[in-house]
This record gives sequence, C-alpha cells and structure tokens, in this order.
Amino acid sequence: MNLAATGLVVAAALGGLSAVVALVVPTRPRPVLVGLGTAASGAAAVTAGVAATGGQSFAVSLPELLPLFGVSLELDALGGLFVAVTGGVAVVAGIFGMSYSRHGIGGRSVQSVFPLFVVVMLLVPVAASVGTFLVCWELMALTSLLLVAAEHRQRPEVASAVRWYAVMTHLGLVSVLFGLLVFAARAGGDSFDALRRADLSPGVAGVVFVLTLLGFASKAGILPLHAWLPRAHPEAPSHVSALMSAAMVNLGVYGIARVGGDLLGGGPAWWWLLVLGLGAVSAVYGILQAAMSADLKRLLGYSTTENMGLVLVGLGAAGLFASSGQRVLAGLALAAALLHVINHASFKSLLFLAAGSVLHGTGTRDLDALGGLRRGMPVTTAAFGVGALAASALPPGTAFVSEWLLLQALVHGVAVPGLATAIVMPVAVAVVALTAGLAVATFVKAFGVGFLAKPRSAGAQQATESPATMLVGMAFAGAACVVLALEPAMVLPALARVGGVVFGSLESAVGGEVTLRLEGVAGVLSPLLLALALLAAVVVTVAAVRAPGVRAARREARLWDCGGGPMSARMEYTATSFAEPLQRVFDDVVQPELDVDVDHHEESAYLVRAVEYRRRVADRVERRLYEPVLAVAWRWGEAGRGLANGSVHRYLGYGFYTLCGLLIVLVVLR
Amino acid sequence: MTDTGYVQALYLACGVLLLTAVVILWRRELAVIIRVFALQGAALAALAAITAAHQGSAELWAVAAGIAALRAGVLPWLLRRALVESGQAARETQPLVNVAASLLAAAALTMLAYAVSQPLVALAPSPATQAVPVGVAVVLIGLFVLVTRRRALSQLVGFLLMDNGITTVAFLTTEGVGLIVEVGVWLDVLLVVLVLQILTTRMRAAFGGTDLDDLRGLRDT
Amino acid sequence: MQALLVVAVAPLLVGLMRQIRARLEGRAGAGVAQPWRDLRKLLRKERIAPRGTSEVFRAAPLVLVATTLVVAVVAPFVTTASAIDPVADLFAVVALLALGTVALALAGLDTGTAFGGMGASREMTIIALVEPTMLVAIVALSVRAGSTNLATIVSSTLHDPARLVSPASLLAAAALVVVIVAETGRLPVDNPSTHLELSMVHEAMVLEYAGPDLALIELASAMRLTVFLGLLANLFLPWGIATTATPLALLLGVLALLVKIALLGAVLAAGEVFLAKLRLFRVPELLAGSFVLALLAVAASFFLA
Repeated sequence: MNLAATGLVVAAALGGLSAVVALVVPTRPRPVLVGLGTAASGAAAVTAGVAATGGQSFAVSLPELLPLFGVSLELDALGGLFVAVTGGVAVVAGIFGMSYSRHGIGGRSVQSVFPLFVVVMLLVPVAASVGTFLVCWELMALTSLLLVAAEHRQRPEVASAVRWYAVMTHLGLVSVLFGLLVFAARAGGDSFDALRRADLSPGVAGVVFVLTLLGFASKAGILPLHAWLPRAHPEAPSHVSALMSAAMVNLGVYGIARVGGDLLGGGPAWWWLLVLGLGAVSAVYGILQAAMSADLKRLLGYSTTENMGLVLVGLGAAGLFASSGQRVLAGLALAAALLHVINHASFKSLLFLAAGSVLHGTGTRDLDALGGLRRGMPVTTAAFGVGALAASALPPGTAFVSEWLLLQALVHGVAVPGLATAIVMPVAVAVVALTAGLAVATFVKAFGVGFLAKPRSAGAQQATESPATMLVGMAFAGAACVVLALEPAMVLPALARVGGVVFGSLESAVGGEVTLRLEGVAGVLSPLLLALALLAAVVVTVAAVRAPGVRAARREARLWDCGGGPMSARMEYTATSFAEPLQRVFDDVVQPELDVDVDHHEESAYLVRAVEYRRRVADRVERRLYEPVLAVAWRWGEAGRGLANGSVHRYLGYGFYTLCGLLIVLVVLR
Repeated sequence: MTDTGYVQALYLACGVLLLTAVVILWRRELAVIIRVFALQGAALAALAAITAAHQGSAELWAVAAGIAALRAGVLPWLLRRALVESGQAARETQPLVNVAASLLAAAALTMLAYAVSQPLVALAPSPATQAVPVGVAVVLIGLFVLVTRRRALSQLVGFLLMDNGITTVAFLTTEGVGLIVEVGVWLDVLLVVLVLQILTTRMRAAFGGTDLDDLRGLRDT
Repeated sequence: MQALLVVAVAPLLVGLMRQIRARLEGRAGAGVAQPWRDLRKLLRKERIAPRGTSEVFRAAPLVLVATTLVVAVVAPFVTTASAIDPVADLFAVVALLALGTVALALAGLDTGTAFGGMGASREMTIIALVEPTMLVAIVALSVRAGSTNLATIVSSTLHDPARLVSPASLLAAAALVVVIVAETGRLPVDNPSTHLELSMVHEAMVLEYAGPDLALIELASAMRLTVFLGLLANLFLPWGIATTATPLALLLGVLALLVKIALLGAVLAAGEVFLAKLRLFRVPELLAGSFVLALLAVAASFFLA
C-alpha cells in the first residue's frame, strides 16, 4: 500500500472511530476527543491527497459492501486535490471545535455526525462509480443537514434554514441523479472507467452535462440555485460553516470538472460558456449582496458564492480554451481556478472560525452591534484581518495571486481568434475586476466596522478572547493563508497534474520557484518579492520618520468632535451606513426595501420625536424566481388538501386504488 | 497618401465617431449634445475625405464637402435654433433608462454590433470593412437614444445618429455611394428634421413642453 | 534612485499645480516649494495619538507611503529596466495602490468618528467602481504588447509609436485619465482643498491625523499623484525614457519624465479651475462612462487593429 492508500484508509478509520467515541464517552471529554479525532483524520487525508497529487494513485473495489452496485473507490490527482483541501479544513475545524462545541452543541448526535460529515466529504472525490458517488453525495447532504440543524433549540431561524437547505440540496441531488443515470445507461456500465469510454451523441452529452451542472452548481452556491447558502451557512455552528463553506462547496466544482472535463471529455464551447456565464453572474451578485449584508456570517456566505463564481469563471475559460485547442491557456485558466479553490478554502475557513470566535465572545454576529473588538479579542482581530486581506484580493494576500493568474488567462485569451472569446474575455475581465473592487469594499466594511472603532453594543464592549484551542485552529488557518500567499509556486506543479486529469495532457502553465513565470505566454509575478519590497519600504519609511529632530513619544489627544463633547458610539458609521453609497449606486440591481417612519410630537408636526429607518436588502433573484414557484407549490398543496381529510381508511384506499389502477394499465398495455 | 497612413487616419475617424456617439449618450445638456453631434458630423466628413483622398475621386470630395456642410453645419445650426426657441430646461433630465445603465447598454450594443457584422467583414476583408462594426454600433446607439430619451430634441439627435451610422457603413463597405444617391439621402434627412422641428414647435404650443410622453394625452380614453 | 526622484518631485508637483490654479484664479499663490515647507514643519511637530485609536490608525500612513514607494521603485519612469521586474506588473501595481487606499480607509473607520466612517465609505465606493475601468483599460493596453508587464508595454510602444494614434490607445488613455482623476481625489470627483462635510472624501478620512503622520499622508498623496501621472505619461508618451543604463540616457530620462509630469500636472490644474465638484451620486455615471470607454478600447483593438 502506498502513502495515498494508507492515508485515506487511516483518515476514514479515524473519522469512523471518532463518531463511535462520541457515542460512548461522557459529555465532558466528548468535544475534545471528537475534535482531536477529526483533526487527525483530516491530517491523514491531507497526506493522502498530497501523495495523490504527487502522482500516486489508489483504487479499490468492494463489490459486497453495498447491495446492487457495490463500492468502488479510486484516488487520482484531481480527487487528491479536493481530498487534501477538505482534510486541511477538517484539521482546523476539528481543533477549533474542541472548545467551541462546549456550548450547546456538545450533544451525542451532533458530535458523532461531525466526523462522519468529514469522512463522506473525503469519499466523494474518491468515488469511482456512479452508485458510490451518489451514495456519498447523499450522505454528505444528510450529515451536513443534521449539523446545520444543531442549534435549532437556541434559535428559531435555524428551522427555516434547514427546510431551505433540505429541499434545495435534494433537488440538486435529483438533477445529478438523472444526469448520471442517463449517462450510465448510455455507457452501459456505472464505473467511471466505463463512462470515460462511452461514446455519447452530442445531444445526450449536452443533456447529461446540463443536468449535472445544475446539481453541482447548486451545491457550489452558484446563481440561481444559491438560495440555501446564505441561509444555511450562517445558521450552522461556526466550525461546521467553515467546513461547508470552505470544503463542501468545492465539491460542486469537483463535480463539474470530473463530469464535464474528465468523463465527458471536454465537450463543445457552449457548455463552458454556460459555466463561465453562471460563474460571472454569481461572482458579481454574490459580492454585491455581501457588500449590502450587515450579518457577519451571511456576508461570508455570500462571499462564498462570489468566490465559487470566480472559480467557475476560471473553469469555464479553461474549458473554452481547451475546446478551441489552446492547451497552454487552458492549463493556465485551470491552474488559476484550482489555486483559487485552495486559497478560498484557506481564507474562508479562517474567516468563518474568526466569526465563530466573535459570536462566542460577544453573542452577536450583527456588524451594526459590533466594533471595538481589538481590545477584548486581539488574536481574533488579527486573524480576521489576515483573512480579510486575503479575501479582498490585495497583495500580499492569497486571493491576489489566483486572481492575477485568472486575469492573465483572460487577458491572453483576448488574443485567441474567435468571436466568442473576443467578446467574452473582456467582459469576464471586467466582471472579475468589479468583483475584486466590491470585495475590497466588503471586507473593509467587515473588518473596519466589526473590529475597529468603538463598541456599538454591550456585548461588544464586554468581549473576551476565546479559549486557546479556538485560537490554535485560527492560527493554523492563518498560517496556511500566509504560506499560500507568499509561496504559491509550492502547489502549482500539483495543479498541472490535476489539469492533466481534467482536460487531458495540458502543458504545465506556470513555472518558477520564487517567481511565477507563465509558460507559453508572457507574464511574471513574484508574491514573495512583492511582500519583501513592501516590508523594506515600510522599514525605510519608519527609519525616515524616526530621524533625529522628530519627537518619538505620542501625546494622547481628544478626537475632533466639533466641540460637542465626547462622541458616543451612536455617532459612528455602521455597516449599514457604510454600504449606503454602494447600495445607491446599485439600486437597480439590489432593489432594497426602505421604510422610514417619522414619529412627531403631539404639540407640533415640526418637532420630531423619533425617526425609524428600516432597510432590508432582499435577495432579488429569490423573489423573482423562487416566490412564483413556491406560490404554485402552495396552491398545489391547497388543492391536495381536499384529498386528505384525516381518515386513515381513505389514505389506505388511495394506495389500494393506485395499485389496482397500475395493474389494470399493465394488463391493458400487454 | 500612404497605405498605413490611410488606415491609421480612417481608424482614427472611426474612433472619433464611436466616441462621440457614446458621449451623446453620456451627457445631459442638450447644448453639449448638439456640439458633440457637430463634431461627429465633422468626423464623418473626415472619413469621406480620407476615402476620397485614398481613391483620388473628385465626386467623393464633393460628397465629403456636402457632408461637412450639412452635418457639421446646417443640422447642428437647426438643432441649436430649436433649442434656443424652446427657451426652457435645456437638459435631458429624466431619460427612461438612467445614464449609467445606458452607457453599459452602449457597451453591450457595441459588442453586439461587432458580433453581427462579422459575416459582412468576411465578405470582403479590407481595412475599411474591418471598421464596419463602428458604423453598426453608431446605428444601434442612435436607435437606443431614440427609444430611451424623453425630449423631442434628443430623439431627433438619436435619429440623426442613426443616419450618421448608416452613412458610415455605406462609406466603409462600398467606399462611397454615388453622389446622386447621397444627395437624395441628404434631402430626406433635412426634410425629416424640418418636419420634426415643426412638430416640436406645435407640441410646445399645445403642452408647453416637449416631453413626448405628453402625447399620450391625445389618446381617447 | 527612481523612488528618491519621485519623493523629491512629488511635493513640487503639488506646489506647481496649486500655483497654476492660484494664478488662473487671480491669486498670487504660495510658491512652488510651499508643500515642502509644510512637510518640514509638520515633521517637526509633536506626534499625536487620538484617544481610542489603535495600531491600524498608526500603521496606515506607513503602509500608504510604503505601497507608493514600491510602485515608484518598480515602475518604468526613468528607464525601462525595472529594479524588481517580477513586481512590475500592471495588475500588481494597481493592487498595491489600492492597498494604500484600503489602509487609509481602515484608519478612517478606526477613529470611530462620523467623519472617518463617511470618508472611508465614500472612498471604498469609488474604488470599487474605479477598479473595473482600470483593469479593462490595462487589458486594452496589454493586448498588443502581449503582456501586462509595464516595462514590456512601454518598450513595445517605443518600438512602434504608430499605434499610439490608434483609436484603442486613445480611448484607453481617455478612460485612464478619468480613473486617475478619481483615484487621486482631484476635481470633479473629490476636492483636495475642501473641509466641508458634504463634499469631503479623502480629507474626511485623514481628519484625525496631525504632525509627522499627516506629513506622511500628504507626502504619500503627492507621490501617488506623481506616480499616476508618470505612468500615464510613459504608457502613452514613452519618448525620452532610457533604454540603456548609460548616465547620459538616464539623465535624459529624468529630464523627459520631469517635463512630461509637469506638463500633465499643469493641464490637470488648469482643467480643475473650470470644473465644479460632481455630486457624489453622479460620480458613478462618470466612472461608468470611463468604463465604457475602456471596454470600447478593448473592442476597438479587435476590429480596428
């Protein structure tokens, strides 16, 4: 057995063991043991994944394990990448959960489901047959559903989130199921090898691709099937949010790459234009909603939609280039997309953990009620700062590198002959750029309003730092962010191998050790040198300012308060007011609902007693697309109520009549 | 004139045409719009002159001179007179589609123009036909102005913009149409402008404004 | 060396622009060297720590100066040979300058005053809209150079000056001028000399700074202006830039750069005299316009190439 196989088996065994342990040990040590077990399982998975992207592979078939189709697993470079990412997130989430789960979610069921969730997420990219894949996919949905519901006793909103998530994820499953079943039926076998060899007509291939794309896109939180994401991710416990937002959504991308690229073997340009278009719309819409949001975890959830959108832009561009024979550019775009998957996993888990720490310390995640956390929670503030820098695509952050690669791929794609690329590429560049600009505004808001300035509520005032294990979890994620930001060349050779799985024999697109050097097209960037230059410039500036003749000590002084006495926290800008200009600019897109109530004194209509201002930025896609569907479903249900009058005999009768009816049909047709 | 010089000058003129069309969409002051429109007329005349110089044809020189006189001289003068006569709010205050959105629409229309004129370019690839998308884009932007602007005067500008675009396409594809045809088109345009100007005056007399939405009041209800 | 030049020239450029405005408005003006005198005075003053502010507030001026300094070092102002070539990418340069703005916005929020928040909120809105235009204009410039590396773009323009009068590069230039005006906080997007709360953007964020910190910020904003004008000059009028490392060529490069920046600054200042500040909510229209220009520049580089 090689390293990949050992790692994977150990990871699965440790995860299963933790689940069993959670069931038998008493409440007090339970979270610690489960957290440790999950982290160890994650670490083993990282080893396996890294070994797999390094070229090792592992295949096993267990035909008796499940009835009908058995289980067959295979770990290749593409799967290995996602196994490694999931494992990495599991490590930090496990460590973080050791003390985070003490509060209200230390119960037997939640604690035993948590490691199981990790294990099935690790198995999804390893599954090598349609049956195995679908079982793992469904188990992943079920376990995550249970985890989202963990805090349903504490907060009533959780129930609604769970309902949305349950319905959407199963609709997605149905879509994937149909797509893969059609595929398997045409291919005459359900193993991925058989699918690869299958020779599908373009029409059938298109249907399979679109059906699976719908399901996978809904898992990745892509528009218009994103509605569950900003509901479920904030309501889950924070370390589960991190797992969902940094690891589970990636598997949607994995699905598209596996089915569209590997199994269907590329396909025509319109598939990838569709992927690119969906990604572009999601990126802009997601970040716009994030910019409007005043709920910290909801903001992060929408930002996940944005980042997955960017990944799909890269994936779509790669497919487009591959279908027109531009192997170099395809490799570059795919490397950008996959690097962004890794980067997003690192900074999003950090951000969600930091948000969890804030929730733990203050009891609220409403940005309008936070502020001034740097005094009470310095480590969390620093962690969120690192994550925010990474997420806003500014140097020296992680997302900057992957977005730079993506932009390079798009810019060089402009020169590719062809009408589609000539029009799509500049627009895609504009979309990525707009997303980057809005992301900067969003994370300045989240960090500046949430953590700096003065506390806006009693909870924020009395914030205290979280326990050590939570900080250690964040520190690991933060370290991953920093390393990826400075030395992305480390993971790039692996990405080239992964690209080979998806679109077949791509040239290595990016080389170099300290400096990223694009191969085949011009372009160099060195994140490490950039960071060093920045550091050197800061040192020079400090030295210049500290020159003789400049006083070093600082005198404390009052803030400029227009002479009106000390300023209270009510005079500060809040997250809502911070986003107001942007909201005005994008008024036509987000269509906020505004409500201003002015309360007058009885004596005179000119003396205002109170002004109440309410603003709600509803999800417009949701209102336009989902509400009509829900209304139809509701009416259908109303109509159905006539059939159900509560008589058990009647219900049994329905079954009987249907059975007889079917038999009669059968008789007549034969 | 050298070949590269000809191509450079031609493209420059096309660039100015496109730019002025966008600026007309961008600005609200009608006076500025009219001035920009005159500039566009001049660019179109330059385009004709460049083609004339390239082919050394006297007829085309005459056409260029005519275009310069009509589109950079007479039409803007007529428009300005109409504006002065109206003597009221000289701004396009409330277009049906706001300015930022119209600008984005213009970008989309340009892309569309590029996409649809590919077959045209492929018919006879030459430096001149390469620029055909510009003409198509100006036509589309003109139509867009016609559809989304409220003031009768800016609608008139939209119409003239379309006409400029059509002329541009004609020059770029056939290297200039015959003088007679061109003169016929001029007369038509002039006639339309005069008719619309009279209409504007009558509307102002009837409603005290030139917001075309007021015409709804004439319908029997 | 290039960085030293930028540091030395930047306050003079601001002084020159103020002087030109003053003369055009019929005032005598304070002289070209006045910003340097201001800086000297500010640097000697006491350092102030407003109550309730944190390290973010103290670090922001340093980050602002540092980002601009890095750009001044790597961008091809005097010579096409960049000091740290792997950083001299247009995307990286734009992102670095944005990083400086972000630092300042965070400092504005950190003070916890209404002014600071207001300035930060407005600045972030503007930067979110400036970014797309900037990057699309970069695409237009890089399409024919085949690279987004600054030095490569500049030297390829040097070899083929004819493309400068092409519609693509003219449209891109127009778009870049608009975004540079927005990014450096000049009229009509922001008024650098206002302290009226309705119209402040940049000034609102730096309201709490005093003494040496304020000096750093003033210096940094002057440097940003210089850097942007220098980039504009060398992207569209690269003549005179040194392609070899001989002292004569370098001297010529320095002179050419000074002349170009001074000219651009003079034009900008003269233009400002005739402009009023736009309402904040008209700014998006301006930026949308420049965005369309940038997109048309890319489009034109296909069908008018």
